[in-house]
Amino acid sequence: MQPVSAQTPHRDAALLRPIENPGRTYYYIVGLLMAVILYTGFVYFRQLLYGLGVTGMAQPVTWGFYIVNFVFFIGISHAGTLISAILRLSKAEWRRPITRMAEVITAIVLAIGGLHPIIDLGRPDRMMHLFYNGRLQSPLLWDVASITAYFTASTIYLYIPMIPDIAILRDRGVKPRWLYEFLSWGWQGTERQHKVLDRAMNILMVVVIPIAVSVHTIISYIFAMTVQPGWHSTIFGPYFVVGAIFSGIAAILVLMIVFRRVFRLEGYLKHIHFNYLSILLLIMALIWFYFTFSEYLTGFYGHEPNEMRVFWYKFSGDFAPYFWTMIACNFLIPVGILCNRKTRTIPGILIASIAVIIGMWLERLIIVVPSLANPRLPYPTGIYIPTHTEWMLFLGGVAVFILGYMVFARFFPVISIWEIEEGRHESARIVTERISSYMPDMEPSGGRE
Amino acid sequence: MNKKTIETFQILSISLIWVLFTGIAVWIVTLIRESIRLHDTPDASVGISIVAIPVFFLLASVLTYVFFGLRKGRNRDPEPQETPGGKAVGQG
Repeated sequence: MQPVSAQTPHRDAALLRPIENPGRTYYYIVGLLMAVILYTGFVYFRQLLYGLGVTGMAQPVTWGFYIVNFVFFIGISHAGTLISAILRLSKAEWRRPITRMAEVITAIVLAIGGLHPIIDLGRPDRMMHLFYNGRLQSPLLWDVASITAYFTASTIYLYIPMIPDIAILRDRGVKPRWLYEFLSWGWQGTERQHKVLDRAMNILMVVVIPIAVSVHTIISYIFAMTVQPGWHSTIFGPYFVVGAIFSGIAAILVLMIVFRRVFRLEGYLKHIHFNYLSILLLIMALIWFYFTFSEYLTGFYGHEPNEMRVFWYKFSGDFAPYFWTMIACNFLIPVGILCNRKTRTIPGILIASIAVIIGMWLERLIIVVPSLANPRLPYPTGIYIPTHTEWMLFLGGVAVFILGYMVFARFFPVISIWEIEEGRHESARIVTERISSYMPDMEPSGGRE
Repeated sequence: MNKKTIETFQILSISLIWVLFTGIAVWIVTLIRESIRLHDTPDASVGISIVAIPVFFLLASVLTYVFFGLRKGRNRDPEPQETPGGKAVGQG
């Protein structure tokens, strides 16, 4: 048999192209992102030097962009694991080109989101108090434990299905070869090895779902377990989970559209994938709106004075432009575009997804700031104006995400090659068997009279 | 880098994961003991924390199972095997 190498043609060459031949533009973009991240590092160093006074946070608004971005980034992470795990569990064959993209989002944004509370501390060394003097009844501590568990689970869930693809890169002699040798764990594709991999993936896709749900529920508890007006709500747990899945699906759609265009993956990311995911996005828009309506109706009906201060602050006060923009971005635009098959095109889906990402960021801002600006205390309404430091750290987080994704795509295929190949060989048979198992039995031909 | 070195680093990385997760379990147990000593924790917090420990060990176990399972499932025959990707692979 002929030895394989990076020059040997591969059926899925398009999936290997970003690794074997990334092109000059790739390096220019990496350079630009590194410059943004370096400047962000300088801005953060200034914050370390001068303290949190360089931010817009002050009494009573002691949480601002950092906590908004923490919740936002962790929310997007739900896309990956939940969608990948749920689609695998439900054996949706159309998942094959999507799962790894989704899982990579999770791993990267979790790391970025998890750093934000440390940035918000001002003095990062104070994080060590969690280990020496942690208080178990604090939802902030529950957050640390749950995010650590989720990050671990999602990284393992990303890595294990990558092993066969890493072996392909190893055998093609792609550099750095030692990396692929190290990560491939001796994969040869034997029947026994496939059984081991399948068993591990089956366990992980079941385990990762409750962990993912618990993470955003526990994040909601850092708000809901207080008695701040606008926060102390029993609906926050499921509301946050729904919001996380919503923003996560939008993030995957944007990434799919970008990758399809940049790496010419039209043969793998087809209209049907966008159609199915955009219908999921539409459903999530409706569920999100239901939760939002329920949340505000309940607060309004109770007419408790402190709650109403926060309510009117959002509906008609200083935060009204952000609130109504959120409603437009999260409900009016996506429902308007995605309900209609004529507008549910790839450009339409891109507009709807970007609107949802903006809307969900605004939702986090609207949850965090107005309640703090209007506490149950005889203060005048607080003011929060984010500074250059906070904007730059937000942009830096986005740059780190893009860079992380690009680095991943440079070394590993973003679409699972072995799952695509498995799908080519097995999907039709699997789906036919499944359909036959639940279709009604045919009448025997003699019984027609 | 030769195969022996790579295998050593692989086993080291698996061991480090167990060390890390054991450290996390010890941290959670320390928190539980401290909160019981201070009489300041609802039972739910303790219960949830106790559930977290097996989750970490389950994840480490899955990783270890895959690692040793793949080693055991290797074909000792020097002839390359076909993968579902249609590509022949050499021995790992």
